[in-house]
Order: sequence, then structure tokens, then C-alpha cells
Amino acid sequence: QVSVLYFARSAELAGLRCESLWVPRQITSLQLWEEIVKVHPRLAVIRDQVVFAVRQEYVLLGDQVLVLQPGDEVAIIPPISGG
Amino acid sequence: MGESEDVPKDFIKLKTEKLSVDEVSELVISPYCGAVSLFIGTTRNNFEGKKVIHLEYEAYTSMAETEIKKICRDVRQKWASVKHIAVHHRLGLVPVTEASVIIAVSSPHRAESLEAVKYCINTLKASVPIWKKEIYEDEYSWKENKECFWANSEK
Repeated sequence: QVSVLYFARSAELAGLRCESLWVPRQITSLQLWEEIVKVHPRLAVIRDQVVFAVRQEYVLLGDQVLVLQPGDEVAIIPPISGG
Repeated sequence: MGESEDVPKDFIKLKTEKLSVDEVSELVISPYCGAVSLFIGTTRNNFEGKKVIHLEYEAYTSMAETEIKKICRDVRQKWASVKHIAVHHRLGLVPVTEASVIIAVSSPHRAESLEAVKYCINTLKASVPIWKKEIYEDEYSWKENKECFWANSEK
């Protein structure tokens, strides 16, 4: 079970900032995205713009296999605009 | 040995209160340094003909601080003589013309601190998870930095 964090536009589309989700321990980043979109279909529109931060490291949506531990933070990161 | 050693320090703060140039400069001043270089990011009042009422910033705070620490570490690898680095970024509501970010770097001579400040702001815009929302009169827009390494790659 991981903690999913939503920011900026993804928080607006999902309607929340944080939730726990059950996901397989090993999963590709793209599969993880698809699991999240099942819960929040409105997120589908930003699929091409987001990356994940898994345990605070950026991960592109793709074939990279993630090995997740219970309680890991997974954040949805829309295009940034700091500074 | 002791306080006079002036060990290089990084001062990183994300806060909702108004930023202070005096406060940030004073953090990095050092008797061993002849130069303090500063960058202030302020908020413009217009975008593509629309009037900006104010900005709102949000951050993935823990990761933002970690990413800024990484930037400070990179700065010290590139410019070994850099002494202190301060990065203050404002979160929440920021009125037009107020500072959203202040970066200050001190070094014995000016070349390194000038280069380091430029590197800090450029890299911050490319890698630190902070988001800006521009509020116009009748709509709003989540901004996207062109430096963001994943935003443009799909287009």
C-alpha cells in the first residue's frame, strides 16, 4: 500500500491531495499510472505531461520497473513552474 | 578552532511570509568573502495581454528542499570557493511585484558567486517540484517552465 500525492493540476483533476492505494509490489511506472487513472479517470488528460516522484526520485512514465515498499510516497508531478 | 572557521552553509527555506532581501543577503555574508551575488524573482502583472491579479505557489515541500540541497551540492562541486548559499522561495499567495524567490551566494571573488547564482535559478526552474498558478480576472493558469525536462518532450 503506497501513499499517492497529488499536486497542482493533478490535485484539481483528482479532487484530492493524498490517498493510500493498493498496488503490486513490482509494477512498471506506466502500469502504476494506469492503476491511478482507474481510480481518477479525469487524470487521463495530463498523461503526456506528468512524471512520478517515487521516494522523491523522478521517474518517467514507461517501462521502468518500480519495486515498492509499504508506505512509499508516490507523487504525481505535473510540469513545474518554480522560481 | 571554532566559530571563526565560517564553515560553508546552505540556507534553504520555503515560507508563506514575504521574502526579505536583507535577511537572505545577511545569511551568506562572510568575512572571508569579497562578493555576494543575488537573484530576485519577482512576479509580473501581465501574461499574453491578461492582467495577473496574483500568483499562488504550491510545493512538494520535502522533495523541493531535497532537490535544492542537491543544487547546492552541485554548486560546491563546480565552484569550490563558494562559501554560503541561501535559497528562499515563497509559497501560497504572492501579490504582483513581490519576490517569489531570492537566491544569494557568497564567494571570495565575484566570478564564482555570479556563476553559481545563475546556475541555481536555472536548475531550480528545471528540477524543483514547485508549481505556480497565475490568477487572472476571470480564469487561472498553471504555468510550465520551459526548463522542465519532461513537459516538452512528448510534444
